[in-house]
Amino acid sequence: MEHIGEVFAKIISLAMMSIFMQNAIFDRAFGANVAIYVSRRDEHVVGFTLGITAMTTAASAASYFFDKTVLPMKYGYLFMPLIYIGIIGVLYVAGLFLLWKFFHATFKKIKKFVHLAIFNCAVIGALFLNSSYGSDIWSYIGYGFGTGIGFFLASFLLNIAHDRLDSEKIPKVFRGYPIMMIYIGVVSLAFNVLVGYTAKF
Amino acid sequence: MKNSRFSANPDGLFKQNIVFMSGLVTAPIIVAATSAENALILVLSFFMMSYISILICRFFPRRIAYSIRILLYAIVAALMFIPTIMVTDKLFPAHEADVTLYIELLTVNSLLLAKTETRFYLKPYGEMAVDALIYVGGYAIAAFLVGFVREVLAFGTLFGLRLFDPVMPSAQSPFFGFILVGIFAALCRAVVKRNAASKTARFVDHSEDIQ
Repeated sequence: MEHIGEVFAKIISLAMMSIFMQNAIFDRAFGANVAIYVSRRDEHVVGFTLGITAMTTAASAASYFFDKTVLPMKYGYLFMPLIYIGIIGVLYVAGLFLLWKFFHATFKKIKKFVHLAIFNCAVIGALFLNSSYGSDIWSYIGYGFGTGIGFFLASFLLNIAHDRLDSEKIPKVFRGYPIMMIYIGVVSLAFNVLVGYTAKF
Repeated sequence: MKNSRFSANPDGLFKQNIVFMSGLVTAPIIVAATSAENALILVLSFFMMSYISILICRFFPRRIAYSIRILLYAIVAALMFIPTIMVTDKLFPAHEADVTLYIELLTVNSLLLAKTETRFYLKPYGEMAVDALIYVGGYAIAAFLVGFVREVLAFGTLFGLRLFDPVMPSAQSPFFGFILVGIFAALCRAVVKRNAASKTARFVDHSEDIQ
């Protein structure tokens, strides 16, 4: 059995990789539109992060078993989107049922938004990338957890810039979505520099 | 006899362009549309996975709860991935792995999961089919614009034909994709706003002529 410290180190190293090196928003643009939507309100940043992190972590753990059995088959890759949607779907329905049963008020409050936190590129993208970067179940869990935290980091950086980017100082045609995209581009460039990106000339 | 005539609404091309105006399904364009060929692969995949899924999912009864319908839509798109990837592999055997990843992500695209409920499924079937096709056309415009610019800047080529030496290799990176989409989004808004203003001015002139 693996030493607990080794397991912890694996989870942390893959989580760090998915937060900084492979950030869902800044490096892959997974769920960029959801992050822009979420960043408008503080409570959405926390709520969506919780939903996405819970889903990416749990779905990553479940997807490990399918990646090891179905993916190596000759035509296994054709069925991976269906399998991942199946995993996300089961967790989504189970989560909705538990909320409806035990936290009815919360269920009523979030039922209009919950599908946005679950069916987006950040969640399913984490599962696809896990098959490339994860080696064992702990690294899968670490990568899935890190994707959720990376989403939080991106949404938080957008949230704190939101008021300034929506101000009168920004030309009218750039206000809102266009300036947000340019801002994400600039932060993405900073992340690229942080991890040592160099353009090939 | 039922009146089957309807007027096609071209909003999906520019005024409500799904990428530049609504900010949806942006990830494949930002990261994978680095060349005209990649853009073509994305548009073909988007057509097969979104448009055909929209036409199929229309038959799901509305009495199924919204939360469950969304899941069924994603399952249909995941099933559509199988013929889509077979077609793209056949037509473009040398396409990059990154493009495949973004085709896989189209299973949860917002045209299928969000626009169906707020727009397409509120219309009769024929009108919906045309409207959704116009939206796919809007997506194609966005993908090709971004793909052309990035291929010319990053590789100095267009559809693989050499034009000049690469001037900006970093144009193929995601950060450039974000910035370029942001600039195109602002341009699109400016054009739409200008058209709306000139239409209003023409309407006022016409009203004054009548008076």
